Amino acid sequence: MSLDRFLTQVVPVRQKLYRFAFRLLGNEEDAQDITQDALMKVWDMQEKMAELQNMEAWCMRITRNLALDKIKSRKYRMSDELDRAGELPATHQKSPHAVTEQNDVMEKVHVAINGLPEKYRTILQLRDIDGHSYQEIADILDIDMNDVKVNLHRARKTVREKLQNLQVYGL
Amino acid sequence: MDYKEITVLVEKYWEGETTLEEEAVLRDFFSTPHPALPEALQEAAPLFGYFHREAEKVWDAPPVKVVKLSPWRHWMKYAAVIMVAVGIGYALKQHQQREQQVLVALQQQEMNDPQKALDETKKALQLLAKNLHKGTSKMQQLSYFNEATAVVEGKED
Repeated sequence: MSLDRFLTQVVPVRQKLYRFAFRLLGNEEDAQDITQDALMKVWDMQEKMAELQNMEAWCMRITRNLALDKIKSRKYRMSDELDRAGELPATHQKSPHAVTEQNDVMEKVHVAINGLPEKYRTILQLRDIDGHSYQEIADILDIDMNDVKVNLHRARKTVREKLQNLQVYGL
Repeated sequence: MDYKEITVLVEKYWEGETTLEEEAVLRDFFSTPHPALPEALQEAAPLFGYFHREAEKVWDAPPVKVVKLSPWRHWMKYAAVIMVAVGIGYALKQHQQREQQVLVALQQQEMNDPQKALDETKKALQLLAKNLHKGTSKMQQLSYFNEATAVVEGKED
């Protein structure tokens, strides 16, 4: 792979890789390190590039594997949910009370999704937030497309139950 | 789009049967507040609101760090090769030394064993005796020949 190809096809997806790593690891610093490591690994494995059909999915798969390794090796602890509650963007058009209430609801949804097993959570985020197709998710996670559908259905069902239990309604 | 259609789409969503386009419609619908939302849709509103907010979030791309690729980038590989080579060399040297030590020890053991030493001495003496015996027999033959010569010459009384 030439440097040009790397710069035009791989480097532009780094923001996506970073977002993906951030969701898995829960903090900026580690997400940046993992993104950098993933780009280095892609560069090192450049001879494989010719066989690839979906470069972006391949890069994301590498990022996920590195992030999961990091979580495993360091017995990683996700950053405190309370810390991140403060990062929620404020909506200035509404009254402070409404904003607080909305942030509270958003935080509950966030906690419900983050409480899912990693596979469910990742599939749900890739589909419902990033808008990836089943095939793309299957490529990223290196699993069968039917598994993606089954796991997505279970993930949505679990989130729905959690939100019902928490009595999170309305917005 | 009226609430009925959205309700149908939400049901499809929970069953995992929606397409990407339908899911985009749902996200779009819930991105704006709807005061008189039917109860069936109130359940899905926070989730889609969350999805919309996350999708809209602006992520700062991490700064690109320029990593200089030095020829010593894979120094651990080279170090490992050197370590293995040194290890094998050391092991071979140790093996040879040990072999020599064993040989010396065996020889010493032979020398220190009195029975073996006696056997070896006996063997050596027997060889010597055998060779001496050979010489004696030749001398006897010679003396016999001398006697015979004397008889022929009439020197014998």
